[in-house]
Parts: sequence; structure tokens; C-alpha cells
Amino acid sequence: MIQVRELHKYFGEQHLFKGIDLDVMKGEVVVFIGPSGSGKSTFLRCINGLEYFQKGEITVDAVSLHSINRKRPTREDLESIRKIRLRVGMVFQQFNLFPHMTVIENIVEAPVKVSGMDKEKAVEMASALLKRINLEKKLKSYPSELSGGEQQRVAIARALAMKPEAMLFDEPTSSLDPEMVGEVLKVIRGLVEEGMTTLIATHEMDFAKEVADRIVVFDNGNIIETGPPAEIFSSPKEERTRVFLNRVLKKD
Amino acid sequence: MGRFLRIAALFFGVVLVIAWSANSGPSEGSLEKIKKRGYITWGSDAEGGAPYVFPDPKAPSRLIGFEVDLAGAIARELGVEARQAQNAWDSLIPALGRGDFDIAMNGLEITPRRQEKILFSIPYYVYTEQLVVRKEESGIEGVNDLVGKRVGTLSGTVAQEILGNIGGVDVRVYSGQVEPYEDLSLGRIDAVLLDLPIAAYYGRPNPKLKYTGAPVGEGFYAIAMRKSDGDLKKKIDEILDKLVRTGELKSIYERWDLWNASQAKLTLDKKASSGYAGVEESKKAPLRTFLPGLLKGAGITILISTASMLLAISLGLVLVLMRLYSRPLVSTIAVTYIEFFRGTPLLIQLYILYYGLPNLGVVLSPVVAACLGLGMNYAAYEAELYRAGISSVPKGQMEAALSLGMTRRLALRRIILPQALRVAIPGVTNDFIALFKDSSLVSVIAMVELTKTYSILAATTLRFFELGLIVAFLYFGMSYPLSLMARRLEKRLKAGMR
Repeated sequence: MIQVRELHKYFGEQHLFKGIDLDVMKGEVVVFIGPSGSGKSTFLRCINGLEYFQKGEITVDAVSLHSINRKRPTREDLESIRKIRLRVGMVFQQFNLFPHMTVIENIVEAPVKVSGMDKEKAVEMASALLKRINLEKKLKSYPSELSGGEQQRVAIARALAMKPEAMLFDEPTSSLDPEMVGEVLKVIRGLVEEGMTTLIATHEMDFAKEVADRIVVFDNGNIIETGPPAEIFSSPKEERTRVFLNRVLKKD
Repeated sequence: MGRFLRIAALFFGVVLVIAWSANSGPSEGSLEKIKKRGYITWGSDAEGGAPYVFPDPKAPSRLIGFEVDLAGAIARELGVEARQAQNAWDSLIPALGRGDFDIAMNGLEITPRRQEKILFSIPYYVYTEQLVVRKEESGIEGVNDLVGKRVGTLSGTVAQEILGNIGGVDVRVYSGQVEPYEDLSLGRIDAVLLDLPIAAYYGRPNPKLKYTGAPVGEGFYAIAMRKSDGDLKKKIDEILDKLVRTGELKSIYERWDLWNASQAKLTLDKKASSGYAGVEESKKAPLRTFLPGLLKGAGITILISTASMLLAISLGLVLVLMRLYSRPLVSTIAVTYIEFFRGTPLLIQLYILYYGLPNLGVVLSPVVAACLGLGMNYAAYEAELYRAGISSVPKGQMEAALSLGMTRRLALRRIILPQALRVAIPGVTNDFIALFKDSSLVSVIAMVELTKTYSILAATTLRFFELGLIVAFLYFGMSYPLSLMARRLEKRLKAGMR
């Protein structure tokens, strides 16, 4: 469903991605791990066009996104980026809820304004989503009145309201207090069980082990190793993977 | 209660100090002081002051005019030098009272009201009021045809009083002599009534204009001095009398092409007090008689500032969007606009809009020019406020909106701007209050708003203090609710996001 070919990305002079290839099947759950700054977040952001890349091609469901060399993308570029974003939902580390809107307004905004959904229908759908994440009582609250975990659950509901075919999670629990991590992971787990195609960048190794069909290990802008979780966590082929896993697993 | 008493005592003290300093300015024996000093200072307004006193077109650092010649002759007779002191014509008399110069001589008509405040010498010129219209005008043949017409004149002049006494005339009051004739030839007004020397210099040479009707409202120019300077007045009267008898005065007027049959009256030993009369004594009129005029001015102030603020708010938004989200060329245009309007005085911008654009064939009415000028100027400031607001919105907001499939435009409108405007609102309301007060600047383009109404009323009645307090109170009464409203709005918006 998602194909990445020969992806090159520069930050100014710094050459971060030196030709990355990756295929994600429909319904597959891929978890990206690796040290901070290794490029796993940037990779996810490239997929839905929040980061431009200088060389290569990303295809989502037959919509292709080509390298963007210019400072300003063309109108066609922007249109294909938008088409991809309509197919792929994204959840951010910092939640990024709209602070001037209530929970329900946050959720119905895009379905109504972007997809042209009937307002009443959108509210109905949003209420159902909120029920699923156990926040149906908070629909009139503002984001600042919610805990971090609640905010992140609303952010997930907001992305789901656009009925995406795949979800990207960019370190969804990294800025949460430890006691709130569980409630967010539970929602993600639910999605995975329903068969949602899911890409997650995370530091939660237990969770990765549990939900992933495939683990992708990033280091210094390169994919150094991919494989099923059992293989990666018990017998990694790469020395660098071992070093990284030892470090994070010891911390726990 | 104690606090109230303290404030009252403070206020009383301030009034006392003002009253004391107003009286302590001039001192006795001015004549001796002038002689000891070696020069006499005479107050006048050289701005657009031909043919009275104005910069020599050939050598602008030198002043010329018939009053310059007259001042020279008087100084020579006193055995001293003459030095001109520049002062706005409207406020010559208060400045004289304050002691800024020894005498004021600048086409000051003898009126009973002025005589209460100051001493007048014997007259040195007999003036008449001359009506000037456009060449093609045929409906106006005298002052009685002016009802319902737009007529320009100078603030604080006898001509203004004459027009006011006719009733039903739409009087447009200017502070310079050039502008009324300029506006007349552009068709912004229908006629100009001003003293003959002014008409002779500014009106007659203009090929688009002509004199109409016989001169009206004969009166006298005289030199103004402080009440305490009786000895100076006696001396100046003697000198003027001598200049009349020797024919020197006549030769000065002939040199300036101002001599006419009326001037013969100067030689008749007329009392100064027999000058222009028949004007009701507004000096003693109760303050409430000024209220309708002041309230009308306040209304115009509100109209202008509201209209220009609306323009500033919306134009500012366009500018900031151009600057932040457009192609480099468009963005540069916005930046240039903002820097230009922030970096040049509002006054100059108003002058260019109102008096400059007609050179290019664009004639704006005063209201339009005022709103455009203020609005375009403040738009630059609003744009910067919005920019600060936009940059305070975290980057993740735009990313979240885009990731939901919104276009940049929709994300701006629904997500970024609503948050940015909340941040900008305190600054914007502050600016509205500032604009409210800056609106007094538009009086330079013949808009009679509150400040202009005040300066006209105060200049004619010389009641700068009471009227000033009333006007200040009016301004405060309008701007204070505004800041209260702003504070409430801010609180409400904050409550929305918390």
C-alpha cells in the first residue's frame, strides 16, 4: 500500500537519508525504533508530505509523490500531497489539538470543511468515536481542560474521523506522563486489531514487540535492519541494533 | 473621602499654578526692555502668509511682505532691529499673552472680543472681504447668494464670522491661505471669502478663479500688544501716525499693490475701537452654546476613526498574508508598503493624498482622503501585530491542519488566524485608541473634527482653557469605554482557550 523508493533527504548540507526503500502492505503494522535523531520521525513526516525530500518517490495507493527540489512546490505537487494526506492520518507527539475549539469541534472540523460532510452526521460520527475512546463526556471541553492522555486520544479520534486507510503515529506517547501511556496505547492496540495499516515511531519496546508485524531499526538516517519482532529483539543481526536495544531495555 | 479631598486639593493647586504663570509672563516696561535689547520681536505666521509676511521665493531664507516692510519702519523709528517670531496664526494672541514676542502684527482685525484680551494700536490698513469664485460660476454674485454653498475661509477671521452670521452657509475652515483657493479651483468648494490682500495675492493670479461682488465687511488691521504694555502702545501709535503722515505707509502699500481708496480712512483720526463691530459676544456665552458644535466634531471624529480602523484591520490582514504566504515578489511589495508607511510621518502621507494627488488628476474629498490616509497608515501597524500573532501559533498547528487534508488557505482561515488574532487583539485595540487621537491630524486637510472644532472655537473666543477641558473630556469619554470593552473582550477570548 505504501512504497518508498530511493528516498534522499538533506537538511541543508547534511545528507540524512541516503536512498531508503520500504514497502508496507495493507493491514500491516510496522514499528520504527532507533535512537533519537536517527530519522524515524522524519521518515514518517516525509510520507505525508510534512517534510519535503530531494530525491526519490513515495507512492500511497497509486498516488505518487515525487522529490521536491524547489523551495516552493508546484500546484500539482500540493494536490498530490493533499490526496495522500486524505488517505493517511497522522498523530503527533505534541497532540496539536486546536486550542480554540472544543473536543467535538476539533473532530468535526476536517470532515465538514474538507470532505463536505453534513454537520449533523459529522457530530454523530464524532460522538461515536469519542465513545470508543471513553471521552463522550468531554465533548464540550477545550483541549486545555484535558489531561495529556485524553488530548492524545482526541487527536487519534480526530485523525480517524477522516476515515484514513493508514495511520502514522509519530512518538505518540513520548510527551505523556507514564501513568497515561497505557490509555493511549490501548486505543492504538484497538485500531491494530481492527486491521488498520499502521506505522508507528516509538520508544515503547514492549508495545512494539506486542503489536508489530515488522520492526524497522533506524540509525543515523539508515534502515540498518528489518524483521519480525521476535527475531529483532532476541537475535539482532546488526551490532548497532544490539547496542541500541541493550541501552533502552536496561533503562526499563 | 480623604482621597477625594487630596485629589481636589491637587487639582486646585494645578489651576492656581496655571493662572499664576499665565499672569506672570509679561512684565512692565517693555518699551525700555526693547530699546536696551536692541531689537523688537513681532509675531506672525509666514506659512502661506503672502503678501503679509512670507519667504522670498528667490531667497527662501529671507522674509518679505508689506508687514515686513512696516515692521522694519517701526523698528527704525524705535532705533532698534526687527525680528520676526514664527507662530501659527490661530494662536498669535495667546502666544502674545504668554510673552513669546513683543507685538503681534499679521492682519489681525480689530474686533471687540480681541480688544478684551489685548491692546490694539491705531489701524495700519483698511481691509475688506473679497468673494472669489471659479471663472465659470454664475450663480454667486454676492455674500447673500452663499446660502447652501460650500464656502472656504480661514479659521478665526472676521470673514468666518460674516459667513456664520449669514446662516445656512456650509463653512469650510482652513488654517492656511493657499488651501482654500486650491480647493476652490479643484471644485471641492464653491467660493472663498477672505481679506482682500489675501484674495489679491492667492486668488486673482489663478486663471481659473475670479472676483465676484463688491467687497464687504470693511475693517481695520492693527498691531496687537499686551494690556500691560501701555507705554509701548503709545509709542507705536505715534510711529504709525508719523508713517501715515509722511506717506511712507502709502509707498509701502503701493509697492505691494495694496493701495486703494479705502486707505484714505487711515488719515482720518479714527478711534481704533470703531473697527469691525456687530458680532455677538461669544466670550460671555455660556459653555453649553458650544456643545452642539463640539458634539458634531466628536461625531465626525468617531466616524473617521471607525471607518479608517475598519480599513486598517482588513488591509493589514491582506498585507500580512501577502508578506508571509505569497510569492517572494508579492511578499517584497508588502514589506515595502509596511516599511514605507511606518517610516514616514502620517502628516506627510495626508498632505500627499489630499494636496499631492490632485497634481496627478485624482481629487479626493476630505472624508475619503482622511479615512484612506489614516487607514493605510495604521494598516502597516496592524499587519505587524498580526505577524507577531501568527508567529506565536506553534508550528504543529499548521502541520496538524495540513495532515487532516486541509489546504493551506483553509488551515490559515480556520486554525491559524483565529488563534493569531486572539494574540493580536490587545495590540489592535490599543492601536484603535491611538488612531482615535491621531484622527485630529486630519484637520490639516480641511476636515473639521473635534480638535479642529476646538481650535476654531478657542481661537475666536480665546477660551482655550475651558473649551480645552471639555474637549479633553469628550475624547476621554469616547476612548475609555473602548479600552474597557477591549479588556472585556480579551478576558472572554482567554476564557475560550484557557
